[in-house]
Amino acid sequence: MLGGGLRLTWGFVKRRPWSFLVAVTGAILFVSAIVASAVVVGRVTDELIIPVLRDGESTEGKLWPAMALIFAVALWKAFGITLRRSGAGWLQFGTRADARKALIDHQMHLDLAWHDRRSTGDLLSVSEVDTNQGTFVLAPFPYATGSLFLLIGTIVLVALSDIVLGGVILVGLLVILVIDVSGAFRTFGPFVEVQEQRGVVSEIAHESVDGALTVKALGRADEETERFRRASDELRDRLIRVNSMWVGYRAVVESLPSVITIALIVFGAYRVAAGAVTAGDLVTVSYLLSLMTMPISLLGFVIWEMAHSMAAWQRVRGVLDAEDLVEHGDAVAVDSGSGGAVDSSAVTFGYAIDDAVLHDVDIDILGGKTVAIVGPTASGKSTLALLLARLWDPRSGEITLDGRDLRDFARSELAGEVAFVAQESFLFDDTVEGNITLGSDIPRGDVIAAARLAGAERFIDELDYGYDTRIGERGTTLSGGQRQRVALARALVRRPRVLVLDDATSAVDPSVETEILRGLRRSELPSTVVIVAYRRSSIALADEVIYLEDGRVLAQGTHDQLLASTPGYARLLRAYEHDMAERERNREDAHG
Amino acid sequence: MADRTTMRTSTALRRSFGVAPELRRGLVATLVLAVIGTGLQIVVPVVLQQVIDSEILGSAAVDTASVTRRGLIALGAVVIAMGARYLSLRRLVVSSASGLAQLRVITFRHLHRLSLLDLQSERRGALVARVTSDIETMQQFMEWGGMGMILGFSQVLLAAVVMLFYSWQLSLVVLAGVVIYTLLIVYFQRVLGRAHDRVRERVSDSLAVTGEAISGLQTVRAYGMEDVVKGRVDETLDRQFSAEVRTAILASSLFSSAELFAGALTAVVIGVGVVFGADWGLSAGALVAFLFLVNLLVDPIQRLVETLDQAQSAGAGLRKILAILDTEVLIKDPVGGVELPEHGIGVRFDRVTFAYPGGPDVLHDVSVDVLPGQRVAVVGETGSGKTTFAKLATRLLVPSSGVVEIGGVQIDQVRFGSLRSTVAFVPQEGFLFDGTIAENVAYGRPGVTDADARRAFDDLGLAVWIDSMPDGVRTNVGERGSNLSAGERQLVAITRAWIADPRLLVLDEATSAVDPALEVQIRRAIEYLTEGRTSVTIAHRLATAEASERVLVFDEGAIVEDGSHAALLALDGVYASLHRDWEGAVTSG
Repeated sequence: MLGGGLRLTWGFVKRRPWSFLVAVTGAILFVSAIVASAVVVGRVTDELIIPVLRDGESTEGKLWPAMALIFAVALWKAFGITLRRSGAGWLQFGTRADARKALIDHQMHLDLAWHDRRSTGDLLSVSEVDTNQGTFVLAPFPYATGSLFLLIGTIVLVALSDIVLGGVILVGLLVILVIDVSGAFRTFGPFVEVQEQRGVVSEIAHESVDGALTVKALGRADEETERFRRASDELRDRLIRVNSMWVGYRAVVESLPSVITIALIVFGAYRVAAGAVTAGDLVTVSYLLSLMTMPISLLGFVIWEMAHSMAAWQRVRGVLDAEDLVEHGDAVAVDSGSGGAVDSSAVTFGYAIDDAVLHDVDIDILGGKTVAIVGPTASGKSTLALLLARLWDPRSGEITLDGRDLRDFARSELAGEVAFVAQESFLFDDTVEGNITLGSDIPRGDVIAAARLAGAERFIDELDYGYDTRIGERGTTLSGGQRQRVALARALVRRPRVLVLDDATSAVDPSVETEILRGLRRSELPSTVVIVAYRRSSIALADEVIYLEDGRVLAQGTHDQLLASTPGYARLLRAYEHDMAERERNREDAHG
Repeated sequence: MADRTTMRTSTALRRSFGVAPELRRGLVATLVLAVIGTGLQIVVPVVLQQVIDSEILGSAAVDTASVTRRGLIALGAVVIAMGARYLSLRRLVVSSASGLAQLRVITFRHLHRLSLLDLQSERRGALVARVTSDIETMQQFMEWGGMGMILGFSQVLLAAVVMLFYSWQLSLVVLAGVVIYTLLIVYFQRVLGRAHDRVRERVSDSLAVTGEAISGLQTVRAYGMEDVVKGRVDETLDRQFSAEVRTAILASSLFSSAELFAGALTAVVIGVGVVFGADWGLSAGALVAFLFLVNLLVDPIQRLVETLDQAQSAGAGLRKILAILDTEVLIKDPVGGVELPEHGIGVRFDRVTFAYPGGPDVLHDVSVDVLPGQRVAVVGETGSGKTTFAKLATRLLVPSSGVVEIGGVQIDQVRFGSLRSTVAFVPQEGFLFDGTIAENVAYGRPGVTDADARRAFDDLGLAVWIDSMPDGVRTNVGERGSNLSAGERQLVAITRAWIADPRLLVLDEATSAVDPALEVQIRRAIEYLTEGRTSVTIAHRLATAEASERVLVFDEGAIVEDGSHAALLALDGVYASLHRDWEGAVTSG
């Protein structure tokens, strides 16, 4: 663990050597200033204080130089502190920013299958908490490095004047290090357990507050509190366990320098009595040792931090080392200005290895057509839509756009061809316009035209700042239907050659939805439209219907053809009317 | 901090002791132990100094036996100091962990008592932070900062007392210096506070942008905007970095100039001591001792002020928690509450008006009487006040004026337990907790077994559906029910209401479309559920309104039409026009 921690820290330092150098220089200046200040106070005592106050000599010519000297050393020390702390901050914050950038860069290119296995909260916590914890060791590291020079120097100096006393200090330091390392090892497991339990407490809190309406409606607040209390009490017990261990180690380790000093004086007295060292030497040695207290506890601190950094950094590495990258070819988009033809052949797909959602799907969508994908729950409609936009890749088989495999397109080329709108629309913390353009340079007129087509123009005009109204997490809250229409405008403004709508207007009032879909058909958009549909009105607007059941395409054709040829489709569509009629009869029976 | 309306940190702390008494339990003993620990640590250098002066530097030969004896005394002091220190730290660990756990649970319980107004989605994250990160900040402060403050103060105090013994005149000089020094650091701290605020802003910016990049990844991918998003993230991270480095440089310069001041103070003490020492009867030894004491005194002050900064942020967290606890609970279990009757549960609204604080009326002067056993559908456009009506009828909201009665009793006089066992509200988005389907059903009535849950699905005609689940009622629904579709979540929510067996059912139909086959199942289940009960259903579907005995039509916060489906159609008003829209969507083509 210690070796790993050192390697990790060294890796950070190598990437930002200058800031480290600045910080270590500052640290060395600082620790040497501490020694210097001791020397200066000693000289001032010998040459000014004792002569004047004991022997009654005059202060003449001595006072100002002495005061200036003391101030000069303070200046030296201050300079050291500034360099050390600034350099360490630069090193720590810079490394953390580097790590966060690398994480985002990597995650942007990992496939959705990978993202599906990790929750957003988890990934955010890697990016925020773990990078912070993982680089935290850099804050004390330069200081500790500088102190190490001082420590080694001291031990060598002491050993040169007397090998026994040098041995006493060395043994003492080793004892401290051993205790620190074993403490870091022993508290590590319990520390991780505390972190885990923090996660549990936070999960319960989030879940319970999110479900507050249900909790209230069913009068379950007391039970929820009890559930939370159990988790919170467990966290308390774990905290007490790990922190009691930690304060035990601290109390011992922080007392040890005093013990070493006492040992040094006692052994030193014997050495002086034996004539091996002079009294003056012993005084110097014990004084130097008293200066070592801070650096020694700092070394211990760095060891603990290294252990924690290692654990956190493993989680960062887990993300950075993931290899599930989306691969791209080098094909570029063609600007043909007409709807693209989409075909799939023998496509099989599953989210989990042992579970297939789509089997042998062959579909054939002509350019410029509007096609509805219909099927019962869990028949694979949405999955097929995701595959058509290449948000996931088929396990086997291929999907082509105008005869070219989607996987052959270069990065971001496909996005210009195929636009995908999901049921859950994601809005960025940006203006309405920014959410529609997504950072591309698109004239306002086109944005308005797209909004009109998406049925969003009217409510956007009614917002306080129109297209400049800030929406998203920290802005104005839009209703579900409004959000969906903004997301639709986002797709339309790009004039895609294939538009894939996965139940993208589910929260819009049925009449408005019909209006939007009719508008799409009438407009001059050069698009093939693929729509995952639940409402009869949307299905009715399609040129063709693809009917899925249990992940297989059972039929593709016009609505009327399918009604005639495919009993499942007819059943699904008629289920509604059947049920209505049935109830109608029941009611008449009851009244009659 | 300059804001006069905010509570002082000390006041907040005192109040938290009242709320969570565990926090202050045995605090005095903890403090005494801490002072003993620190005091004994000062004994060690004193003993050693004596040894050096009298034995080692003394003119006579070294008396090793005496040195050993004194060494053992010092060692004893160290061991006792260590023990005292450990005990006081451990006591602090226990009392802060227990006290904060207590505060966390109390705050959580209060969150659930708050009105729905305070629990709206935009504020939820912030509310959860009260019981997570705010408590964490306090935890960190109490364990490390709090103890640092206690030890620092005792060191300053002891050093000052010893100083007075040596020379009161020089002590005054030092005291004056220390006051200036402290003021200086407090000022620096304020400058730094502003820099820290800037850093915090930058941090929240980069957090927001990073969060978007990850949670919006599907959209990012679909529009090929990876580079745009990465650019945004890098930019905010760079801005955060530069704010952080600037703050680090500022902090280190400020604190190192404080170091300069300490140096200057030492120089002044030497100057004054040397010039006036003879007149004051100051010995050389005393002046030297003084120099060490100055360091001992000045050293903790900087740390104390830094800790004060931590105390401020812990205080800010505490104030936010107390603000939650101070939020008035609008919906309380009435003292001596009335039990609802077994039968005849109707709902009566008498001139009820409702508005969100500072907002326009959502409902205005609504009077209506839903008779026991009646099946009522409520229709109207989005924002017409339907859902507010439902929440008022179940006391999830309280009217701004007017009276709501249930079963002939004013609703705020009904005992909570009686109200919740008589009335069930099924919200639009049936919220599911991470667990099995059966556990979620049992949420409606504690003590329900898997078999009971299974039977409930049978009773509602959902046997086929529940059998299609991989593990039947033991199927895990995932976080917030994410393993189920929206329609399936509704089925579970409906079954949950069924098992609660309410006499009044208020149901907000889901708006999001589900496929027709599932929709049929949902509607049948709702019919079984409403059978033989008084029911108020917020209808988003034509069929629901058609199937009810009575339809209430809301428009702009008022009931504009009231009657049977057929009668309202004949009226050819708001309802008829809504009906045409529905029909167009359902049956066109």
